[in-house]
Amino acid sequence: MVLDTSVTPDIAAAPAAARRSGWRRALKGQWLHLIMLPLAFLWLCPLIWIAVTSLKTSAEVFDPAAGFFPAIPNFSNYPSTLSVAPFGKYLVNSIIVTSSILAGQLVTITLAAYAFARLNFPGKNVLFTLFLLQVMFPIYAIFLTNFVTLREMGLVNTIPAMIVPFVASGYGTFMLRQSFRQVPSELSDAARLDGCNHLEILWHVYLPLVQPTLIAFGIISVVTHWNDYMWPLLVTNSEDIRTLPIGLGLLAKADSGADWPRLMAGTTIVVSPLLVLFVIFQRRFIDSFMHTGVK
Amino acid sequence: MPHVLMPAHAAETVKLQFMYPVGVSGDINTIISGMIDEFNATHDGIVVEAIYAGSYDNTEQKVITSLGVGEPPSLWLPINSSLQTFLGLDALEDITEQAKSDDIYDDFIGGFLGTAISNDRLYGLSFQPSTPVLYYNKDAFAQAGIPEAPETWDQLFETAKALTVRDGDELKRWGLIIGGGWHDWMFEGYCRQNGLVPWEQDKVLWDRPESVEALAFWKTMVDAGCMAPASTWQGSANDFMAGSTAMLYHSTGSLTNLRTSSPFEVGVAFMPKRKTWGASQGGGPIMIAKNQSDAQKEAAYTFARWMTNTENQAAWSRATGYLAVRKSSWEMPEMQEYLVEVPQAKVAMEQSAYSGAFLQVPAYSKAREVLKSAIDRTLAGEVEVEAALASATDEVNREIARVMRRQQRG
Repeated sequence: MVLDTSVTPDIAAAPAAARRSGWRRALKGQWLHLIMLPLAFLWLCPLIWIAVTSLKTSAEVFDPAAGFFPAIPNFSNYPSTLSVAPFGKYLVNSIIVTSSILAGQLVTITLAAYAFARLNFPGKNVLFTLFLLQVMFPIYAIFLTNFVTLREMGLVNTIPAMIVPFVASGYGTFMLRQSFRQVPSELSDAARLDGCNHLEILWHVYLPLVQPTLIAFGIISVVTHWNDYMWPLLVTNSEDIRTLPIGLGLLAKADSGADWPRLMAGTTIVVSPLLVLFVIFQRRFIDSFMHTGVK
Repeated sequence: MPHVLMPAHAAETVKLQFMYPVGVSGDINTIISGMIDEFNATHDGIVVEAIYAGSYDNTEQKVITSLGVGEPPSLWLPINSSLQTFLGLDALEDITEQAKSDDIYDDFIGGFLGTAISNDRLYGLSFQPSTPVLYYNKDAFAQAGIPEAPETWDQLFETAKALTVRDGDELKRWGLIIGGGWHDWMFEGYCRQNGLVPWEQDKVLWDRPESVEALAFWKTMVDAGCMAPASTWQGSANDFMAGSTAMLYHSTGSLTNLRTSSPFEVGVAFMPKRKTWGASQGGGPIMIAKNQSDAQKEAAYTFARWMTNTENQAAWSRATGYLAVRKSSWEMPEMQEYLVEVPQAKVAMEQSAYSGAFLQVPAYSKAREVLKSAIDRTLAGEVEVEAALASATDEVNREIARVMRRQQRG
């Protein structure tokens, strides 16, 4: 929905030094900030706007005479948003669904990618082409067949119904296969000489080296499934097992136009957990991008 | 008022699923689930499960998916245009006899009842009808010295010209915006005002002179610079509330929102006429699935009947801005008081006497997209009015024929 956080300028890392000998020196050391700060501001803009709008009244949103900030912060949008749907329950479900999908995917794509990258078996290329085909099919095209499968498994209207179709990922397998292939085979040969089996080679040699890919894929997967609307709507009926975007849909998909202040309040509630998570792990994300690689 | 409730077959509890969209605002979800809780508490032997299913389109997808695996919900609430789509899937229970032995045919307002009728058979009970109406900014009208809302197309054109404000080349205010995204719905209203219902059960008639004239009139207004050539559904409502347009065609369903969110007084009027008043209905009837047990069908009818009874329709209408479907609802003291308080609601109610079903052809979704695209391209000046409508008509009629052939085969 509103999250596109895959690239974040690192605004926190302002080295305090480099200011000794005049502005010329300073400019030399920090010129990057001249680009980064406006970018950071651009990135923050929608978030600020969301937060500010969530505190307005609906008349203020469209009144050109009203300022950017609400005259009186109207916090009542939050309780009144929460009364539309059980957002607490939705939040728990969203966390369960998204994290289960990610956990499942990390296992399946690692194993599949290793097989495609490093093993030789009959039909490998055909199978891999099939995996790629799966990436090319839009999810909507296979809704009905997925639905039929789930019904036969007796999973319709359960939390697993939102997880099972996504535990394998053609896209993730492809991404990881490419990364595995860049790892020099000397490394795995050495490990094999030391007596490692496939799983041990995977765990000790490959996975540490492809951390950036795993993290990049993790971000894509979490954002996609956190925001997924249509599939959860299709396979669930009960309030108890639905996820956050369905709650937001209640406020957004209206004949009369969206209910902006409450929609923004809802959006704030929905994106906050992801944002907090991102801020907490931000350093680690960036470190992993910088410190891995084959030396 | 007679209150005919048919007891469900005793002893065993009948479970029903009811899928519904949320049309006007999120609070409606609370209202509908509240109604269903009340129904469940007062009806032994029937349990209705309320299933929110997104927008109208989402609801239709969800229902069709369930139909595809042979387990449809007992009842659902689609947009009335989908009638032929569901009939084509042989999904709907015919409730004509039940309704005739009941008071449905006497008490439902004709235009609303008609949206669920095909070949004289009834397939649903109208629950939340709406029509487009003309909203206008009373403050802007007062400033321009215009006392009343326009009543004819010609007056509409004059008024729109008078209310358009430009500062040099820069536009400050449009005279008129027709809510985009549903402008095909408004366009059908224009055809009806020009004396033509622009579709039949198996074809569309957009290439008739009446339709061509309607679109040509839009084009004239756009060329004169007093009507916006394009807009979006939500954007147009926002523009109106922000004072960026003096008049707006939008759904009656938006009345509460526009009235309470605009910093000026909002007027509501009939859509101006040419030969006659006319409007198409949005909103939808509660439909009952054919593929379920007799006990379920009977319970489903009981539920649909209860949702559309006099008291519930009156309460629903006051809470949402949708129009109550029963004459007896409008006669209730609460409704009379409501009309005094919100006189704008009365306009919508009165206009509904001139309204009918909206584009009930097979493949209506595709038909809507094609028509919208034809209108957009015409107003943008890319194609001529007649050519655009002729090719849209051809394309849609071919598609309808294709869908009907497929249904006959399958």
